[in-house]
Amino acid sequence: MIETLIQIFLFGAVVGGIWGLVASGFSLIFGVSRILNFAHGSAFVSSAFLVYSLVNYGYNLYFAVLAGLILAAAIGTVVYALTKPVRDREVMVIILTLAFALLVQQVLLILFGDRGVSVQPFIEGVAEIGGLKVTYMRILSLILAVICLAGLDIFITKTKLGKKVMATAQDSRAAMMVGIDIEKIFLLVMVLSSLLAGFAGILYAQILSVNPEVSLKALIYAFAIVILGGLGSLRGSIVASFIVGYILVTTITFLGARWSEFVMLLTIVAILVVKPTGLFGVRE
Amino acid sequence: MRFLMAGLLVLAAGMPLVLPEAYLYILGLAYIFAVMVISWDLMVGYTGQVNLGHTTFVGLGAYVAALMQTPLRSGMALHPALAIIAGGVTASAVGLAIGIITLRLRGYYFSLVTAILPLVFMQTVFIWRELFGGEEGFTVENTIFTTTLEKYYFSLLVLLVSLIIMRKIVDSRIGLRFMAIRDSEELAESLGINTTRYKVMAFILSSFFAGIAGAMVVNYRFTVSPDLYGVPLMLLIILSAVLGGLGTLYGPLVGAIVIYLAKNWWLGDLIRTFSFPINDEIVLYAILIAVGILMPEGFYHGVKRWVKSISSEKK
Amino acid sequence: MRYAKAVLTVIILVAAVTSLCAQPEKAGREKVVVGVIGPMAVPEGQAQEKAVKLAAEEINAQGGILGYRITVVVGDTKLDPNTATSEFRRLARVEKADVIIGGFSSGVMNAMMETMAETKTLFLADASSPEHAKKVEQNYEKYKYWFRVSQNNGSTFALDLADMVKFLRDSGYEVRKVYVIRDEHVWTDPVMQALKPLLEEMGVEIVKDVKIPRGYSEYEQLILEAEKLNADVIMPVLAISGTGDILVKQWATLKPNILLAGHDLYAIDAEFYEKTNGMANYEIFIADGGALVTAPPTEKCREFVEAYRAKYGHYPESHQAYGAYDAVYLYKMVVEMAASNGEKDPFDPEVLVRYLERFNASNPARLTRTIAFYDNHDLMWGDNYVRNWISQWQDGKQYIIYPPSVANGELKLPPWIKK
Repeated sequence: MIETLIQIFLFGAVVGGIWGLVASGFSLIFGVSRILNFAHGSAFVSSAFLVYSLVNYGYNLYFAVLAGLILAAAIGTVVYALTKPVRDREVMVIILTLAFALLVQQVLLILFGDRGVSVQPFIEGVAEIGGLKVTYMRILSLILAVICLAGLDIFITKTKLGKKVMATAQDSRAAMMVGIDIEKIFLLVMVLSSLLAGFAGILYAQILSVNPEVSLKALIYAFAIVILGGLGSLRGSIVASFIVGYILVTTITFLGARWSEFVMLLTIVAILVVKPTGLFGVRE
Repeated sequence: MRFLMAGLLVLAAGMPLVLPEAYLYILGLAYIFAVMVISWDLMVGYTGQVNLGHTTFVGLGAYVAALMQTPLRSGMALHPALAIIAGGVTASAVGLAIGIITLRLRGYYFSLVTAILPLVFMQTVFIWRELFGGEEGFTVENTIFTTTLEKYYFSLLVLLVSLIIMRKIVDSRIGLRFMAIRDSEELAESLGINTTRYKVMAFILSSFFAGIAGAMVVNYRFTVSPDLYGVPLMLLIILSAVLGGLGTLYGPLVGAIVIYLAKNWWLGDLIRTFSFPINDEIVLYAILIAVGILMPEGFYHGVKRWVKSISSEKK
Repeated sequence: MRYAKAVLTVIILVAAVTSLCAQPEKAGREKVVVGVIGPMAVPEGQAQEKAVKLAAEEINAQGGILGYRITVVVGDTKLDPNTATSEFRRLARVEKADVIIGGFSSGVMNAMMETMAETKTLFLADASSPEHAKKVEQNYEKYKYWFRVSQNNGSTFALDLADMVKFLRDSGYEVRKVYVIRDEHVWTDPVMQALKPLLEEMGVEIVKDVKIPRGYSEYEQLILEAEKLNADVIMPVLAISGTGDILVKQWATLKPNILLAGHDLYAIDAEFYEKTNGMANYEIFIADGGALVTAPPTEKCREFVEAYRAKYGHYPESHQAYGAYDAVYLYKMVVEMAASNGEKDPFDPEVLVRYLERFNASNPARLTRTIAFYDNHDLMWGDNYVRNWISQWQDGKQYIIYPPSVANGELKLPPWIKK
């Protein structure tokens, strides 16, 4: 029993790692800037596919990753342009970004089919921790997740630019009047969050695999983590990704794999209903 | 406007005389789809709350009705008309429960919860497979409507009744309150309107008709399956409503029929004829994006303006 | 005046709609219409369309069926029962298809069978659910137009899996414990039901039977659990999960002392090795449909595979291609048989059903695979008919390793396994 608990403890943390990375970009765009960007998953998936294709054509992995990140930034820019005219109407932002996400999904489906693709990992191999086999990639993604989220946290709260982002999110008109170039800020937020999404997607393709439908799954998990952690709290997102990892691993261990999806979704709904401000919600 | 509607009704009633049976079948399904879309518009277009899980209620209505008509699974063998109503009532009951909890909060919470709901219900279909039939769904016996002609007229009738009821609500004082909430929730609150109560009311109505539509689909094609909970259906609903024009009921009605026919009838052929390396979904989503940016009020308002400008020219 | 404009628009609309669907009645037959239906956005559907078109082209070049040219019409189910039934109906009633080929996904098939019963169209089908054959058994007159052509009934997979275990043992790899990972889906139930007693007979214990939902990705935990339970084989029974590649990747990364051997639709995909960056090496799988690109069981199959490549630039992207191709030739065969027997209308489905039924155990049709039908119109299973070949990915290629009559490779154990 103790052994099982230790396993869950270690594994839950590590499983949560990749999801934390996935959520980091979303924490910025939705948690901080409150833009319901349904196209967040598009950057996630497209970068991974681009990296896969380039590596297949013989390009160096790191070069391909760079290209993937550039693509992610480009997607962010496109979404920025799409949502600019309707930014004040939440309905339209949702619908436009949703339509864009689906468009990208269909394009990917036509180009690559519905099967998943993998990218060769940055580090290969397995570590043995306490008798448990854990892949280095999982550990790496956990470390990277913490770095990204902590880094974002510092950026938002401690730097001048970060404070401008917060201000724009809270009241864009007031921010404008104070002299902040809100268009630049919005563009920055979009591009940065898409970059993070793209990066997460590439890692996801290394540990698991990516197919066009994964964009939806990634989006839901990202939503869940951000809401659970509390909108606006990046530290909350770190904690929340651990919790998500633990819920997944515990469910699989005790209830069985078939319940994992269901329990995850129910938990998300329960959180949204019971404590919509999440664990460390900043303001509502 | 009334003339136009009456004219279209006559046209619809006369369709069986000109349309081959296969297309009549599709048109009948399009009418049911239209019920889904206008009930979505009732919620989103009139109260401004973005419901991303409308298919939850479509699926609920479908499964409840299907189960009640299949003695093997539930021990009941209800008359289809009763089962359909039961489907609608169940859907609205769930809508009530969810609405009470989530409509108190900020808009995007509602959107989020409703987005996830269909996935949760879809999982229940897989997990409790003996009852719900899992991925494959199950067959439903219906001896009342067996010919395409009967099904066509029945769905036309249901569409008509639903439209009239929703129109009446929207044109009443209740409808005014809905729109007040949509235009400025804070203002509505300060005027003393209990916004949560009206939002929940709209949600109950919206989900009722969605449930009816779901149950209708089951009686139309004699099988029920989890696709009725699915995301593709939800997206089609959104597309049709936005294209038609949110908050008008008539716009989404036309949008629904046009989009449904396009998707299941001629768009596929058109693309295949020209061998484009695209599929019909891409075309539809591209159209949605274009409309969203260029004509966010949808075609209905655009057409109305055009008609008005023509008639004012005459003066 | 405004109303006049409205009325005018309505009239134009009516004219447009009716012109789109007006079909002048043709007296007498001018051609043979072969319908192919499936999910055209995915390889399974595309392969069927391409295969049918290839067959039609070949047959037309040789004079058609009874002198009539074949026209191919295509329907897209979009994996949605509503769309599928509408499309089936359109093919049957508007395009006047003489025979419809294809399908995919048991739930969609269920819906289409209802339409088939209504339109009484011959349906040479794909999909593996035993439910379909059962329908024919229980209500012959209604569903007799259905024949399963592309692959075996799902429950025969148990026979293949049991044979696979036996083969592993005979090759020197001791199998006592098996860890099963299967789809949370109706199709796996009859497989497991049939498999359990077969394994018990061989003294093999199923240490755990794990069901996973579609899109599941946390296989590492399961693999580690299998290790802890001292399983000898991890047996996937997957087709719709969509994540077979993650399973094999994580298996290859963790390198447990366990073989990965079972059924995974994804592993049959010719690009599987590439899409997993080579991690698929050494996975053992059973190949649905009775044919693999790298190991065609008959001469006609070899010709088909090469002709397919010549026309389309790549090998058949899914096993449904073989079934669809065979279906067209099968249809041609029975129509010609009916005509030479003096049947008044050799294209009448009622007549053709009886001729199709003639292909039984002692009289199979030799096409790209050897096809015969049971009484319930299910596809016959066996070494000499169609069965899922036991195959393995080795260094980028698929090899059939059992049964010996078609094998073109030998079992290779992954280097990290110590037994």
